[in-house]
Amino acid sequence: MTPRWVWLSIGVGLAAIIALIFVFPHQMVSPGDLKPAHAALQQNCLACHAPLAGASTERCVACHTVADIGRRTTLGELIKRPVARPPFHQTLILQDCMACHTDHPRPRLTRNLVRSFDHALLKPQARAACSTCHSAPRTDFHRGAPLPCSQCHSVQAWKPATFDHSRYFALSGPHDASCSTCHVGGNTRAFTCYGCHAHQQGQIEAEHREEGIRNIQNCVRCHRSADGERGEGGQGRERDD
Amino acid sequence: MSAKPELILREVIPFVLGLAALLLATLLTDALLHLVDAVWIGRYLGIPGVLLILASFGHSLRKRGILKSGNPVLLLRLHEGLAWTGSLLVLVHAGIHFNAVLAWLAVVAMLINIASGLTGKYLLRRAQTRLKAARTELKAEGVSDLEVSARLHNDSLTVDVMRTWRKVHLPIALVFGILALAHISAIFVLWGWK
Repeated sequence: MTPRWVWLSIGVGLAAIIALIFVFPHQMVSPGDLKPAHAALQQNCLACHAPLAGASTERCVACHTVADIGRRTTLGELIKRPVARPPFHQTLILQDCMACHTDHPRPRLTRNLVRSFDHALLKPQARAACSTCHSAPRTDFHRGAPLPCSQCHSVQAWKPATFDHSRYFALSGPHDASCSTCHVGGNTRAFTCYGCHAHQQGQIEAEHREEGIRNIQNCVRCHRSADGERGEGGQGRERDD
Repeated sequence: MSAKPELILREVIPFVLGLAALLLATLLTDALLHLVDAVWIGRYLGIPGVLLILASFGHSLRKRGILKSGNPVLLLRLHEGLAWTGSLLVLVHAGIHFNAVLAWLAVVAMLINIASGLTGKYLLRRAQTRLKAARTELKAEGVSDLEVSARLHNDSLTVDVMRTWRKVHLPIALVFGILALAHISAIFVLWGWK
């Protein structure tokens, strides 16, 4: 038979523990500290959690107005942020803060439950306009590039880019030169083969003329590499007559 | 003659091994989950763990006459097996993540409960048997009752302590139950069940 004092001690102890849950809910039931900006809410679970429904988007947007996310703080102050990280929450197809955010530290236990950013979450119009969020790198290749980003980049990752120059011309041997050698002024849509010492325009024209080839404006029509691999003219050559 | 060395060898070591087996199984399961990058499964193991522990209460109900039918020996074996497995799942669920105090108090209460349960299983029953055997043996050798009591004084004290320890099994089970209920209630109130 368990002595009465044991039951009494247990009862008092349990009552004290239950009381502590209400006095210090953060220490007693929280999985960890909140992010510093929300430190003042640590003992007020219901500031973010709706009873029986978990952390609620409605409670987030009560302070974080969607139109202001990334633009203004909850106190109305302008946010100065790098151009590379423009606001995008306004273009999301769903308002579901917890799909991506958790305010408690994220132990590995919950890692697989939280979604990372996915372009599929953006409204179609925003998804199609890459430049809404991304700026092209300031390289010769990208400067004034008129091609759509999706020609080389995918929404899975910005790098590696999938552009394959050998589809147009293989950059092997001495042709592995800087972009501006062939694409003058950073215009990757146009090219010239006369940008290097080996290809003097007069000499090239004369050599082709000897072979009866006069239409030599578009070199890659016949030459797809330094080896003279065939383009549409066959054997690297096309006769006009 | 003292029964102490054999008491340790035959009773204490199996007791410690029983507890160590549970902890080792916990570590192995946790390591396996980490290895296959499925640690998140641990979050949900608390549910089957608690259900198994609840299912093990058939023995306690039968022992106190609340349950009128059922083979007591079978129910005891079920109690041991289900409670051990349930505790394993709860320990994996707890992991080695020290966050909420309430959940950890519940785990500590559960561990004390397992220890008190194993005390009953391995220590008390066998210690009582061995003490009785030692007493009979000494008496057979013609040792006086007073001398027998003097020689077996320490072992008697040990058995008394174990008997007392065994008695906390039910109160601690109750403490564990209430703390676990508080933890589960907090999760129900605050967690988003999507």
